[in-house]
Amino acid sequence: MVEVLIVGDKDRDIGEALAYFKGLGEAAALVYGKGSEEAESIKEYGIKVFKISSDNPEEVFNALKKLYEELNPKVVAGVTTKNNRDILSRLAGLYDLPMATDAFDVKVEGDTITYKRGVLSARALSTEKAPLPAAILLAPRKVAPAEKPGGGIVEEVKPEAAPVLKIIDRKAKEKGGVNLEEAEIIVSVGRGFKNKEDLKLAFELAEVLGAQIGCSRPIAADLKWLSEDHWVGLSGKKVAPKLYLAIGISGAPQHLAGITDAKIVVAVNNDKSAPIFKNADYGVVADLYEFIPVLIKKLKERLSK
Amino acid sequence: MGDIVVLVKPALNPEMIRATPDGSVDVDAIPLKLSDIDRNALEEAAKLKQQLGGKIYALLVLTWGPVAKRSRDLSMVVQEALAKGADEAFIVADDSIIPGDPVTTASAIVSALKAKGLSPSLILAGEATVDGFSGQVAGRVAAKLGLPYISFASRIEIKDGKIIADRDLEDEVVTVEAPLPAVVSVTREINQPRPPTLLQIRRAAKKPQHKIAASELEGLVKPKREYLELKVLAVKRKQVIIEGETLEEIAEKLVEELAKEGVISL
Repeated sequence: MVEVLIVGDKDRDIGEALAYFKGLGEAAALVYGKGSEEAESIKEYGIKVFKISSDNPEEVFNALKKLYEELNPKVVAGVTTKNNRDILSRLAGLYDLPMATDAFDVKVEGDTITYKRGVLSARALSTEKAPLPAAILLAPRKVAPAEKPGGGIVEEVKPEAAPVLKIIDRKAKEKGGVNLEEAEIIVSVGRGFKNKEDLKLAFELAEVLGAQIGCSRPIAADLKWLSEDHWVGLSGKKVAPKLYLAIGISGAPQHLAGITDAKIVVAVNNDKSAPIFKNADYGVVADLYEFIPVLIKKLKERLSK
Repeated sequence: MGDIVVLVKPALNPEMIRATPDGSVDVDAIPLKLSDIDRNALEEAAKLKQQLGGKIYALLVLTWGPVAKRSRDLSMVVQEALAKGADEAFIVADDSIIPGDPVTTASAIVSALKAKGLSPSLILAGEATVDGFSGQVAGRVAAKLGLPYISFASRIEIKDGKIIADRDLEDEVVTVEAPLPAVVSVTREINQPRPPTLLQIRRAAKKPQHKIAASELEGLVKPKREYLELKVLAVKRKQVIIEGETLEEIAEKLVEELAKEGVISL
């Protein structure tokens, strides 16, 4: 009997979700979109893999609904992604299942599930309990993926009806080639920079420190000076570097929500009342255009090679 | 025909978080506000109204109570929604479904639409609310009503009775098309909400508000989620402002501090 049904479009995400429910009993996965091309590798987790090549959320939901009715799992889970939110919220709505997102520390006991999640823009930690069956989307990159003992099988699922939602175009987003979630040091830029060209100050600082470049929402979403993979915050990336340098960032709550796991936060801002200073370990009240060149020079002299 | 329903959440204001002496969130002491991204949904509704030719109805379900203590906050949120372009407001505020959860909110929305005979061409919501940020109510409502659902829309266009939208996903933007009526959740990037004018604020006071009791709602599902603990996450930062006579001196002190913290090596 399948107790856990995992939904996702990446090998790694399926592995992480499986790791959360180790020991709960038999698991199976519904993999969609690009994930269906990884089905052969995903079955090595030792599970039955249902694959559907479409990533149209309505088609995936239709496939999920059918599997849910056939298999009757206690838990439908996946990593928190936008398409997973879409697909699972439909399932949860249809069957009035409780659903949580960005959950971690998940425990299933008897017919209830308990988990933790950040709420109130990451300013509070909530421990919640809900009856099974439940839909749970997990916080990404908190656990190592499950082992791959091998021995699973792959089965294709065909959607029965054509979806009313049609995909008519798709464009890949521009990528800055950063991987902020794994960065040890991040130099992050905000509206304190007056022109796109001026970001070179931050790039130079990042190079000296061996850091990756992050940014606040306006830089990626409004001004589009940097691609969205640089965006740190509630709607962007949640980061956990050992050192986070916020340069010209005022510290909106949504931005602060993305850096709660940083070990040390340094803020450079010319406005001494900027909220970022209350959320920084070390603050420098100065014009970034004057201070950053001095800091770069100092670091070049002092850093060990 | 051609009406738009905007789902508006009176959300706990995360910027006004308060703690009790034991470090729990003092929910009763945190004021409610109109959830940020729902402002974008209202703005988009105001833009689309002319094209669709109907009315804009704001639909609110109170999830934080008790009702008696929240009535002032709630009425401010309703006023704001009306000032931002909603023509009428429907409000579900009932202690029997408080504290609410998305299961209850979605079922309340669906039964309120039925109870009040609303059959909109479009149901709009923010992609998520600022307090819970789970982004599931719009999808639930779509599934319950059997309507097409478009999530994370960063652009909407209505053409020939169809909706065309850009879904803003992690790595790509996917343009989709669906027939109306449909349910759509919008992102913060879809528009720049304009603050209401003085005239809009004045007019809002005269717009109709309809209170709905839980007893009027058929098929209402009781909340399933239970809060075991709700703790304020105190991120304890040192808040040291580094000062000095010259920028050179400040840079030197900063570099020393960072080395002491072990985050850079000299």
